[in-house]
Amino acid sequence: MSYVIRSSRLAAFAACLLVVAAVVSACGGSSSKSSASSATTAGSTSATSTAAAATGTPKSGGSLTVLELGGYAGAWPTGLDPATNVNGAADQDQMNSIFGQLFQLSTGGHVTPDLATSATPEKGGTTWRIALRPGLKFSDGTPLDAAAVVSNWKRDLANPCTCKPILPPVKSITAPDSTTVLLSMAAPDGAFQNQLLVANLNWIASPTAIKSMGEQAFKLKPVGAGPFTVVSDTLSNTLALKKNPNYWESGRPYLDNLTFKATADDESALEALQSGGAQAYDGMATPSLVSTYKSHFTTTEQPATSPYDIQLNTAAPPFNNINAREAIYYATDAAVIDQKLFGNQFQVVQGFTAPGGLFYYPNVPGYPTYDLNKAKSIVKQLGGLNVNFFTLASPVNQNFMEALQTLWKEAGINTSIHLYSLAGLIQQFDTKKWQAALQTAGAWDPAAGVGLGFRFLSQSPFSGVHDPKLDALILGGQAQVDPTARDKTYQQAAQYIAKNADGPFLFPLASWNVAVHGVQGPGLTTVIPSVVVNTAPLWQDVSFTQ
Amino acid sequence: MSSTSAPLSAPLAARAGRAGRLAGSPTLSFIVRRLLAAIPVLFGVTFLSFVVMNSLPGDAAQELLGAQATPAEIHQLEIKLGLDKPFLTRYWDWLHQAVIGHLGHSLSSGQSVASILGSDLPVTFELVGFAFVISLALAVPLALVSARKPNGVADRLSMMFSMAGLSIAPYVLALVLVYVFAVKLNVLPAIGWVPPGQSVSQNIRYLILPAVSIGLGLLCFYTRLLRADLLGQMQGEDYVVTARAKGVRPWRVLTRHALRNSLFGLITVVALNLGTLLGFTVVIEDIFGIPGIGHELLQAIDNRDIPVIEGIVFVFAVIVVLLNLAADVLYSVLDPRIRYGRPTE
Amino acid sequence: MADLPSDLVVAGVAPAADEAAVAKAGGWWRGRLGVTVPAVMVAFIFGLCFIWPIIGPVPPPTGGNILNASLPAFSPGHFLGTDPVGNDEWSRLLYGGRASLEIALAVQAIGLILGGLIGAVAGYLGGWRDATIMRVLDVFIAFPGLVLAVAIAQGLGPSELHTIWALSFFSVPASARISRAATLQLREQTFMTAARLSGTSFPRMVLGHIAPNILPQLLTYALLGMGIIMILEGALSFVGLGVPPPAPSWGNMIAQGQSTISADPRYVFLPSAALFITVVSFNLLGEGLRARWVTQ
Repeated sequence: MSYVIRSSRLAAFAACLLVVAAVVSACGGSSSKSSASSATTAGSTSATSTAAAATGTPKSGGSLTVLELGGYAGAWPTGLDPATNVNGAADQDQMNSIFGQLFQLSTGGHVTPDLATSATPEKGGTTWRIALRPGLKFSDGTPLDAAAVVSNWKRDLANPCTCKPILPPVKSITAPDSTTVLLSMAAPDGAFQNQLLVANLNWIASPTAIKSMGEQAFKLKPVGAGPFTVVSDTLSNTLALKKNPNYWESGRPYLDNLTFKATADDESALEALQSGGAQAYDGMATPSLVSTYKSHFTTTEQPATSPYDIQLNTAAPPFNNINAREAIYYATDAAVIDQKLFGNQFQVVQGFTAPGGLFYYPNVPGYPTYDLNKAKSIVKQLGGLNVNFFTLASPVNQNFMEALQTLWKEAGINTSIHLYSLAGLIQQFDTKKWQAALQTAGAWDPAAGVGLGFRFLSQSPFSGVHDPKLDALILGGQAQVDPTARDKTYQQAAQYIAKNADGPFLFPLASWNVAVHGVQGPGLTTVIPSVVVNTAPLWQDVSFTQ
Repeated sequence: MSSTSAPLSAPLAARAGRAGRLAGSPTLSFIVRRLLAAIPVLFGVTFLSFVVMNSLPGDAAQELLGAQATPAEIHQLEIKLGLDKPFLTRYWDWLHQAVIGHLGHSLSSGQSVASILGSDLPVTFELVGFAFVISLALAVPLALVSARKPNGVADRLSMMFSMAGLSIAPYVLALVLVYVFAVKLNVLPAIGWVPPGQSVSQNIRYLILPAVSIGLGLLCFYTRLLRADLLGQMQGEDYVVTARAKGVRPWRVLTRHALRNSLFGLITVVALNLGTLLGFTVVIEDIFGIPGIGHELLQAIDNRDIPVIEGIVFVFAVIVVLLNLAADVLYSVLDPRIRYGRPTE
Repeated sequence: MADLPSDLVVAGVAPAADEAAVAKAGGWWRGRLGVTVPAVMVAFIFGLCFIWPIIGPVPPPTGGNILNASLPAFSPGHFLGTDPVGNDEWSRLLYGGRASLEIALAVQAIGLILGGLIGAVAGYLGGWRDATIMRVLDVFIAFPGLVLAVAIAQGLGPSELHTIWALSFFSVPASARISRAATLQLREQTFMTAARLSGTSFPRMVLGHIAPNILPQLLTYALLGMGIIMILEGALSFVGLGVPPPAPSWGNMIAQGQSTISADPRYVFLPSAALFITVVSFNLLGEGLRARWVTQ
């Protein structure tokens, strides 16, 4: 039986073939990779849409399956009740579809009415008057009137949930008539309407349904007045919705069925889209996959609004010394990271506002820009600089941290990097001895969502800065009603941060919304800034095209 | 080296005789003793996981409220969830309810642990069961063909293939399968899950790739094991010699007798490999977006959702204990060459 | 409470009768060749991962310059290219192999020694002591190791050492069962009774008489287990344990690379191929040794 090769030898031979194949594939893989690092679109601006924005006539009907990133937008472990959904800001797609919104952010970054028609500040911004659209009904037939809003808001604010907006102490919430809600606070808040945009106050649940179903059942199958109603809900896996026949806007929604599915990561989403398992993906955030996505689908870059920043703990060594902080500024070349890791797709910023959001200015006077020689000399003066640097674990953050580590090394700074889960992250801050953390700060409106206050206010346990002057600027920016005044105050805050070298800013990471050809919608194939992280498409206006 | 190894099987006739002595035999008291001994094991497992989960940083309240919560808010929620009580109190609270079947409620979603298990366990069972079915359905013919003509072409090919299949990591296989069948050929879905109640055909379609990812390794392992055992019987056992002397064709001996004996022994394989199987099932469920118990376990650990974890650990331990017991009992029926109890001094 | 040689069979280390028969029938497991080829492959892999980086021109696997990010294969100085932050991919492959092999070796060694001793003692002593030890082991077998692995990662932080602890959780009880079953078989043999009757001390019984005789089976099992442990390490990387990046291991390279496989498959393909070849080698070696010991 001499012709029969021994199995072990054959296996060894097959193994060698594999090695050869590996080397060959290593060559083949290179061509697709180089396109990302040599992409020449320099610095995105808020209005650029890289999509072939479909402008076909909307077709009524059809079933759409939308993917959401597991662990973030694709996670709703505590159910979908606005008062208790701790993941509300991430789950905005699901919440908006079921409940609709009082106000929504539309194409171009304008706040437009949906279930409410206007929000007016009174008494210097300590009171806000919300006017509701008359004649609204929840999908169970009961009226969505001011009383329902009042009971919702009281319930929302009473529950421990970080999905609440950060407001000055609320004195009263009343309904002077059936379409007017008055909310009164102890101090002025100029950003209230913007703050609603990803807060649970924006979603109104049917009080009758909560009472009759009980809270436990309600959170699994909620009832609202939005364009869709719940058919079935498997927590953090699949949410199946169907058209609400009693939706207030006639002719909407276009879709008959809308299903949200969780996906493990951007790569799985790509595969699911390619195999026909879904038709849209909200929040694709891996820059190296963009060209692959673009070659198959309508991929629209959504302007980002939260820049990455490096938080420095000014209360503990080594960064209680302003020279050490400045060294970090001088050693950080944000532009080269943008270029090498992200193909120059993002806009380097110097403050906590970004091109996609409000109050953006590209240059902050007094900002210490990259200067390797200055960095080196400061480090030498200090006699060396060692940094413990940490952040939340994620593949993008992993690469980011490593890049910063090697950049800082050139200035003589020795960095050890750590990536933690959420609990580990909080533990680090609790020790008060942390040194540097990579985070994001700011939002579309710096007072909305979380970020600016959490990173820079003295009373925040996660802040590295304890400076009453900065507090006054940040809180003042929120309190003022006049947008021009707010703009000026936030500018001053950015300059103050730069002057004290409290922490350099890098660039915001945009995300992309993806749809197969033949699907269109605001926020999906057009550009809407994200309020905090992801853009929220207006699902009632999403449709297949003729 | 030992020369009295026990293959997976034993002559059927001899087995029947032994089975007849079952009632009142050592086997019955063996079963009872093992069941009683299982109780401290279950207690130990649940206590151990309680200890482990409580030693992790953070708790359910903190995970629920996220990075932006103030310590006051976290504390408020802790009281609401009963997390401020001392360690042993909380374990006792769970334990004395669990033994009567009340497994508590999830700290994240409020759903009862029983209902979570009730919806997740069948999904994982279906996935793993499907993997077993695929692997056995292919392992049996492969092993039979191999055993029929040892060292023949078919045998060597199947040995090579099974060696390769054993050596591939399930998660790598999953990536390759998705790339070929979902992305390139477009015949199977990449992620998702359709319950059988909705559509049996779709349910199977969505399960094929994940089941094959898990099943290929099992298939290869069983093929080699079955083949070895079949060969052992064909070359060693008296009843085979007798049958062949009587003129019964080898193929018939293989399929009618040897195979049946071998299959029994496979249960022992299942029982002993459950832990590793669960580990891979978790990764596969994650990759394919299947809402099963593995996925649930991972999420519950992230959320520090202790009642859910305890429930899953408890069920898993029960399954392992029962399967191990069944394997040992069946094995003893097949081959009582090892005595029970102390060696004679 | 007996545990039966089923353990030996299902672990793949036992069947003696059929193995001898097969060897006689087809001559394909002819001892030397069935062992030499995989042994050479294993030695080559070890040499490449442990020795070559010391003596040959291999750049460090971490701390790469971001200006060299994502270079394609056959770039000057990087024949397999670089990863997205500029580390040399060939170097990552070698050092990653070293990490994965170190972990697998350590885990199997711990299993062999610790598990082997526990099982031998339990099997030899018998009675209530045996029963107690087995029940404690049952707790660890019935405990989903995944929970422990994730807990270690979250509580102590992921590291190579913690990965070894977590994986030992799988290997020690399994090895103990093998060892115990082999000891039970051994116990019945005459030379054992003779040694016992002549008053040999307990440690000498275990170490001098039992250990050498069960070692072949344990060693075979350890070799066969190398592959599965390396694959498990990859699975742990998927859920957050494993070797923490930027230090490479094949497991974490696969887990990291799979999230951009459509853009650049080589980051997954290279470690996957390396892992596959290594696992095949260990499996072939284990089976070859087993057959060889049988036909002696």
